[in-house]
Amino acid sequence: MRKYFLTFVFLFLACHVSGADVPPDNSCLTCHSDMWDDMKTSVHSQHAIYCNQCHGGDPSQKDKDLAKTPATGYVGVPDKKQIAQICGGCHADVEKMNFYGIPTDQLQRYKTSRHGKELFNAGNNKVAVCNDCHTEHDVVPIADPNSPVYPSNVPKTCNRCHGNEKIMTPFGIPTDIFNKYKGSVHGKALFEKHDTGVATCISCHGSHGAVPPGVKEVAAACGKCHINEKKNFLESPHAKIEDAAKFNQCISCHSNHDIQPPGLDMYVQACGRCHAPQTPEFLEGRKIWQVIKDAQDDLKATQGIVKQAGIEGIFVEEDTLVLEEIKTKVFEMGPTQHTLSFAKVNDLYAQAEGKFKQVRKNIETKRDNLKQRKLFLLPMWLFIFVMAVALIKKHKQLDALREEGKKKE
Amino acid sequence: MLKNMVSRWFEERFDVQAVKEPLEYQLRKPLPRNIGWFHTFGSMSLFLFVSQVLTGILLLIYYRPTEGEAFESVKFIMTQPYAGWLFRQVHAWGANLMILMVTIHMMRTYVTGSYKKPRELTWLIGVGLFMMTLVFGFTGYLLPWNQLAYWATTVGTEIAGAVPGIGEFAKTLMRGGVNVGGETLSRFFVLHVIVLPWALFFLIGFHIFLVRFQEMSTLDAVGEEKKTKPEDGIPFFPDHLLKEGVVFFVLMGVLITLSILAPFELGEKANPLSTPVGIKPEWYFMPMYHALKYFPKVFGVLLLGMAPLFLFIWPFVDRGRNRHPLKRPVSMTLGIITFVVVIFLGTLGCLSESKQNFFGKVYEFDIYGVPHQVTEQKL
Repeated sequence: MRKYFLTFVFLFLACHVSGADVPPDNSCLTCHSDMWDDMKTSVHSQHAIYCNQCHGGDPSQKDKDLAKTPATGYVGVPDKKQIAQICGGCHADVEKMNFYGIPTDQLQRYKTSRHGKELFNAGNNKVAVCNDCHTEHDVVPIADPNSPVYPSNVPKTCNRCHGNEKIMTPFGIPTDIFNKYKGSVHGKALFEKHDTGVATCISCHGSHGAVPPGVKEVAAACGKCHINEKKNFLESPHAKIEDAAKFNQCISCHSNHDIQPPGLDMYVQACGRCHAPQTPEFLEGRKIWQVIKDAQDDLKATQGIVKQAGIEGIFVEEDTLVLEEIKTKVFEMGPTQHTLSFAKVNDLYAQAEGKFKQVRKNIETKRDNLKQRKLFLLPMWLFIFVMAVALIKKHKQLDALREEGKKKE
Repeated sequence: MLKNMVSRWFEERFDVQAVKEPLEYQLRKPLPRNIGWFHTFGSMSLFLFVSQVLTGILLLIYYRPTEGEAFESVKFIMTQPYAGWLFRQVHAWGANLMILMVTIHMMRTYVTGSYKKPRELTWLIGVGLFMMTLVFGFTGYLLPWNQLAYWATTVGTEIAGAVPGIGEFAKTLMRGGVNVGGETLSRFFVLHVIVLPWALFFLIGFHIFLVRFQEMSTLDAVGEEKKTKPEDGIPFFPDHLLKEGVVFFVLMGVLITLSILAPFELGEKANPLSTPVGIKPEWYFMPMYHALKYFPKVFGVLLLGMAPLFLFIWPFVDRGRNRHPLKRPVSMTLGIITFVVVIFLGTLGCLSESKQNFFGKVYEFDIYGVPHQVTEQKL
């Protein structure tokens, strides 16, 4: 991904911002000058890829008919299949693409996708092909925020078709996916926090090879980002269930498009869907729930104690560092709970608990020290008072003696 | 028995009597009758200097004068070594109290006219000691390498840079570069722990020698002072020393109490890229800092640079014979006006660029310390 990103950044920077020069002797523009307005800023025109590369014809001919003779390979407006083949003509050519460092398996992947299979195998023209996502004349690199396939634009681009009831009804695909995604934890991160690293449609379904993940691939799809969750899940008894009707991996508890931030409530809602209350499995889940809740409560309380101590002027740097270690342990409980092993989750809590106690004891000791310092002032001032009184008394005594001596003289 | 043995051992080898007699004379030398509680401030300044040296030595065990370690080492002192926090707080408060004591001591000398003939040199050295104490405070303030210290030093050295002619050179010399950095820290450290302590040590020695040699000043007019006879005066030891003892205990108590109840915060580590809002110098530079706001930079620096010069030449300007404050109306009026102006400017400096609540009304003090009432915005 990083390689592609850098390639596109390079290509983007290599482009003139003002757009490409008007191609010399391009008779297409005599009639289609409006197309040039779209095309001049595209990545293709920046690299001297003009009309005839996709549409065929001979742009050097001044005469319209001569420019479109069959001998010139004139295509005109290509149909969907042709589009895939024409784009693939260059983009599947390793030699041509080598210089740009762009992958060349898009066409092959497309053919394995649901879109490609419908188009090439079933001859269904109502599926997405290259230009439906990338546009035609004004194609820009995917690293360009104006690109329809820039990460933050992907859901909207997919929704152009997948939100259209007329297109989706024949395929039996729901059209509320975009709205569900928008309200999900991923959608909020993408649209509200502008986090382009978050999962979008293509992260789970793939882009050129887009397919709905099957039951065995769900954990693999989610696990691309949620590595630890996947690793732990594969150790759990749930991972062995192959019947999607009974258990569909991550989706069974988290759902798919409208995934919400996971909370402890899920133990009540999700477990109860399959496991009756008081069954050993349900109770095991409750035990895990309890230990995670205790850890989170303890973390919150200890954070409060450290914060308050800092406000009181106590040095809490070391305790803050220990608190960070505890936080790591408590956060680790999140992925670990996917093993459904109480022992493993509890082991993390035991490690955190020892540090909780250490931090609290440290703060208590420091606070006691501060109190003791203040208490020390009392005997100190008592001592000073006694000393001052004694010295003044002695001074007066000496004064009196001197006066007496003077009188005697 | 042991005492006799030791005495004999020394007497057999040295002319002990030649040393003992002048020492005993100094100890028993009678002080004039007017010497009282107000004459203890000089000794208190000395006590605080000794306290600063001792706590400074303890701090030096752990302090590291480098850009990367200074802040961390002070934090270490405040958290790890036994009573490290106490030494740092006593040192920090001691610096402030020392400046206060030296100032009060100077004010007492001014009021009692003790700077007059024949003690002009003692006064000159005293003014020098006062200036050096301020430099002590300025250099020491940077050493914890926190945000306040860093930016206060930046502002302070910038002011020095405004002196015409040598300003830029002086600024670069102090900073050891264009900006305040590790070089500045090294220079300030060397000044603070080597140059100034020794310079102050010898100057204090000379100051005390002059005080003892020329005897304490009385309120008698110049030329009418009489040598204090033993039967009329108060012996320095033990009588006067007992008074010093009382003040010493109280001062020590105040120092420790302040260290415990009002500790100096270490704050955040110096960050040259982030200037905190409302940077102000320590209270002893506040009147000067605030006064500078009213004048163009160069003129202000030159004008305020005259203040120490004025202190130095004062004994040669005020050549009247009287010492009693009530018999010196001009000097006293001038002194009182200066005192009021300094306090007023210092207060304005503290209040400037802050928001304060007086009798339920909120006032915003602008950069010149002028209050503006804040009215609540109502929708």
